[in-house]
Amino acid sequence: MSYDRFLAGDPVIVTAALTGGVHGKEATPNLPETPAEIGRAAGEVEAAGASVVHLHARRPNGERSFATERFQAIDDAVRDHTDDVVIQHSTGGTAVPDDERHRPLRTDPPPEMASLDMGPLNRYDHLTSENTRALVDSLHAEMVDRGIKPELEVFNDGHRNEVAGLLERRDLDAPVYTTLIFGPGTLTPPTPRNFLTAIDGLPEGALFNTLGFGRHQLPFATMGILFGGHVRVGLEDNVYYRRGELAASNAQLVERVVRVAEELGRPVATPAETRTILGL
Amino acid sequence: MTCPFLEYRDADGEMRFDTGRAYCTAASRFVQPMRADVCNDRYDLDHSRHCEIFLAHEEPAP
Repeated sequence: MSYDRFLAGDPVIVTAALTGGVHGKEATPNLPETPAEIGRAAGEVEAAGASVVHLHARRPNGERSFATERFQAIDDAVRDHTDDVVIQHSTGGTAVPDDERHRPLRTDPPPEMASLDMGPLNRYDHLTSENTRALVDSLHAEMVDRGIKPELEVFNDGHRNEVAGLLERRDLDAPVYTTLIFGPGTLTPPTPRNFLTAIDGLPEGALFNTLGFGRHQLPFATMGILFGGHVRVGLEDNVYYRRGELAASNAQLVERVVRVAEELGRPVATPAETRTILGL
Repeated sequence: MTCPFLEYRDADGEMRFDTGRAYCTAASRFVQPMRADVCNDRYDLDHSRHCEIFLAHEEPAP
């Protein structure tokens, strides 16, 4: 029961999603896009208490890139600015060919973690990120080969069925680590009841990370902390600190959720503790 | 062929960028980087099928 982990005061893993692949500096000038900017942001969020950085790559003008070389440049910059943070690459990519989706896994060294989108997600009015089971399986196979821990991104309740299906099809190392995502569109509608339903329906022993989009970021992170989960914050998912006020940085969002966790009696996991919790 | 409404600009109003960024002249704003892939017809994307802004603004054939 996840609430037991709250009562026990288990450490909470804070993941910072620094840049994303959907919006860019047109949404907020505070969003890091270049390897140097992302590296500096990683150092700031690590100092603030994040132990995992979730990374996307971009071209020099901010547009999406899936090139291994761009991820390598970002990883190199992150390592230059951090002490021990866990690097997690995104393998997401709406309307991008499947072979491109594998390229973020091929840095040297590989990332310790990578996202694995569990099913379809609509974008705009005419696009769907398909995330077929065949792609999920092929990405997972390459993660296994490279020693990468998958972070199973659950965009909606149907994707919990997809997690169960993945566990039937393939062997996943324990603990299974999911990210439960709440927000508009294809995402699970952001209500407390849906949150409780989602965590009740996870496979036995699975851990969960909590991601609320936009104004739902802080309340859902708080619920994640209370119910024994882990949390993800950052400018990829939310560019505001409060209504009408842009967040100054990723670190500002991390600092706030760290204060909430500590006030509620859950210490923030160090990178070493994160590796132990996740079995990295 | 890229979208006819696509331009690369480094400024618009108070917004300033170090490099040229995708700007939609139909919507009169910079677009998200993910949408810029649609503007540029990258991968399997086609602005004439996948962009609701283009579809709303295209001229009907004479």
